[in-house]
Amino acid sequence: MAETDYVLELKNIRKTFGALVANDDINLRVRRGSVHAIIGENGAGKSTLMNMITDIYEPDGGEILLNGEKVRFKDPMDATRHGIGMVYQEFMVFGDLPVLDNIMMGFEEKRWGIFLNRKKARMRIEEICRDYHFQLPLDARADTLPVAVLQQVEIVKVLYRGADILILDEPTSVLTPQGIQGLFEAIRFLKAIGKTILIITHKLREVFEVADEITVLKNGKVTGHVLPDEVTEEQLANLMVGREVILQAHKIKSEIKSPVLELQDLSVKENGVQRLKNLNLKVRSGEIVGIAGIAGSGQQQLAGAVVGLTRVEKESRIRIGEIEVQDKSVRERKKMGVGYIPQDRMGEGVNKAGSVWESAVMGYQTVHGYRRKYLLDRKQAEDFTNRIIREYSVKTKGIHEKVINLSGGNIQKLVVGREISLCDKLLVIEDPTRGIDVGAIEFIWEKILRIAAAGTAILLISHELNEVMQLSDRIFVMYNGTLEYAGTHGELKEEEIGLLMTRGGDADEKKA
Amino acid sequence: MRKKLEINEEAKSNLIRYAAALLAVLLIGAVLIAVQGENPGKAFSEIIKGAFGSKINIGNTLRHTMPCILTAIAAAVAFKSGVNNLGLEGQIYFGALTAAVLGYAFKLPPGVHVIVCLLASGVAGMLYALLPAMLKLVFQVDELISTLMFNFIAVLLTEYITMWWIMGGRGSDGSNAISTPPMAASARLPGLIQGSSASLGVVLAFLVAVLVYLFYRYTVKGYELKQVGENIRFARAYGIPVARTFLGIFLMSGFISGLCGGIEMSGSYGSFTAKFITNMGWDGILIAYIAKQNPIAIVVVSFLWGALRAGSLQMERMTSLNKLTVNIIQMLFVLFAAIDYKALLDHMRQKHIRSREAG
Repeated sequence: MAETDYVLELKNIRKTFGALVANDDINLRVRRGSVHAIIGENGAGKSTLMNMITDIYEPDGGEILLNGEKVRFKDPMDATRHGIGMVYQEFMVFGDLPVLDNIMMGFEEKRWGIFLNRKKARMRIEEICRDYHFQLPLDARADTLPVAVLQQVEIVKVLYRGADILILDEPTSVLTPQGIQGLFEAIRFLKAIGKTILIITHKLREVFEVADEITVLKNGKVTGHVLPDEVTEEQLANLMVGREVILQAHKIKSEIKSPVLELQDLSVKENGVQRLKNLNLKVRSGEIVGIAGIAGSGQQQLAGAVVGLTRVEKESRIRIGEIEVQDKSVRERKKMGVGYIPQDRMGEGVNKAGSVWESAVMGYQTVHGYRRKYLLDRKQAEDFTNRIIREYSVKTKGIHEKVINLSGGNIQKLVVGREISLCDKLLVIEDPTRGIDVGAIEFIWEKILRIAAAGTAILLISHELNEVMQLSDRIFVMYNGTLEYAGTHGELKEEEIGLLMTRGGDADEKKA
Repeated sequence: MRKKLEINEEAKSNLIRYAAALLAVLLIGAVLIAVQGENPGKAFSEIIKGAFGSKINIGNTLRHTMPCILTAIAAAVAFKSGVNNLGLEGQIYFGALTAAVLGYAFKLPPGVHVIVCLLASGVAGMLYALLPAMLKLVFQVDELISTLMFNFIAVLLTEYITMWWIMGGRGSDGSNAISTPPMAASARLPGLIQGSSASLGVVLAFLVAVLVYLFYRYTVKGYELKQVGENIRFARAYGIPVARTFLGIFLMSGFISGLCGGIEMSGSYGSFTAKFITNMGWDGILIAYIAKQNPIAIVVVSFLWGALRAGSLQMERMTSLNKLTVNIIQMLFVLFAAIDYKALLDHMRQKHIRSREAG
């Protein structure tokens, strides 16, 4: 029967968050017993889409059909009862509970309706493990286990809950190559047994290895529905990251002089996970060095390490000018002329609960200082704020307006204006134009190009490949905590860089 | 011009809040009093008489306003920067004991003696706050729990110190005789209104409130502390040393609490008695909460609090009602003042619209 051919169908799904359209008219059909990959850059709308299938969000429009029937779940538990199980990127495990308890949590076997029946639960879980070839230490505490095993715990958990459709969100991002192979074997086995698997990823090579069908999302829209043997990696990369160039930056020829920032063997470990691996990089005065890459490849740690927010490993050296700064505080580096435009402008760039002037003068006390050292000179603060508002055309009712009332573009102009006005040596910029309108993008680009021409060294980290390509003098691609050189301005084509971003070149393979 | 408008906006919403809470509380209070067989009108008029009826009554109101202001300011300073110092009570106890001991054990010239006592009480409160602060910074012990526990320790430890170190164990026979010898006259704060228990302390408290207000408004440090409280990630990203700030806040809050204990000794009690107060620190936390940590609003609410306190004593004397009735009313006021009436109104309006659309 045609309608049971597809176990899950999404029709014209639409979801918006304020002005942001996260999913726009999405159509998706998932064949029963297949492995269906959904690929796209971060922010393409993959997670939003999956969260609507598991009912964390309610779609604004469109419908979801399960086994040919229209469904609307009451809550995530309800979706689970309908046989949809999600394995999240961040595992939902209770570290100090044994594996057994973690698996049965929320769906316990009971005796007389109130008492836990551990024995029965254990029997069922052991059966699942036998049937699906998992070997789990059921009595070990979850926090003693490696991530690959925890992932299996999560998969067994959704199977225990009776899932027919398994959604795996970026399942390989935490795994070693061996772990990935193990996972793929499990996926193939689950498929053979008749389960349907949706795998969300941005790693193209894996898609080719395991998927039967591929759906590509970009900017909240489906840009392609293909079979793996129909396309090449290049074509897929292009569907995923390629975009028409609407904006053209006018690069100003600047004189590139001595290095301002020098990274030597920069490594960062967080909670035992190696985020950056022996990075070496120089950014010179007057130069814009752009870092492209899929989100979560280590960009945040790189920015954090340079401005002083992230602790680096012992052997790492960070030099600004001639001075080693890896042990210096954020404040000390700020005094040296290091500016920072963070990715999360609302959470980190400003104090949205405060007034515009409060966010505008942050750092002023450190860099310039007020007329009297300990007193905040209101006049001085207001003058500085007004200067930023004027020079960066921040649209606001006045310096006492609450930041939260400003639009994203205007908040970003405020942050950019502040950092450019305060720091003239090195500027670390993360996603300067994310989610803001074209006019503001052009404006901010021009400001960035202009201060580079005036001699500031700029480390530009962006998830918009186009932005990196437009603005940078030299381009690097970050992949899994390493940097790979991707040519000077205009040297490589978009597809070539896109491929490096999704595959990491061959460097990764040589090491492994 | 615009600025003025916005301040008015905030003050307006606060006034609505206080008025709505007061109205609700008056109604419930009236029922509460009527149920006990008394005339609510009479009870309320006794409260007002007791609070403002005479110069002496006003003095009593002011006397009770003092600890409210100081503890609320101590709490507000902490809460503003995201520090959950619930240990005000314990810090008050140590401040009080320190002032009392210095007050009787030393002979110093009049002016100097009081100042020494009060400064020492602040330092004692500060040191007692240092313990949970260090626990937090070194061992990541949540200050919410540690300060709470330190309160119990302070109450019992000051009692122990008074009984065994100061009185040499002689107090063990009597019930409420566990107290230090009286402080020297030179260690006492001068009275403010003849015949009442109000001392210069209330002026000091008011000064502290003003200082804190000015500190947050006009100093770089105050600006930084505000940013830490409102968005710690923002503060950290731009170089405000968050750990050091945390410690500073804790010490400042402890100092003000300790000072409150010292003023209680020098201004009112004259000697430290075990378990001399209950809930003074908690009142401060509640007031800071109602006043949304605004020093000016704290002074206003504290005055209201002090008036209710003084008035309730009068009511108790003149009617058959217990002053616990007033306590209940005070707590209800906190509950009602905690409601965001504007948000509630918006919510109801929206629900109304939605139900109309659906129907």
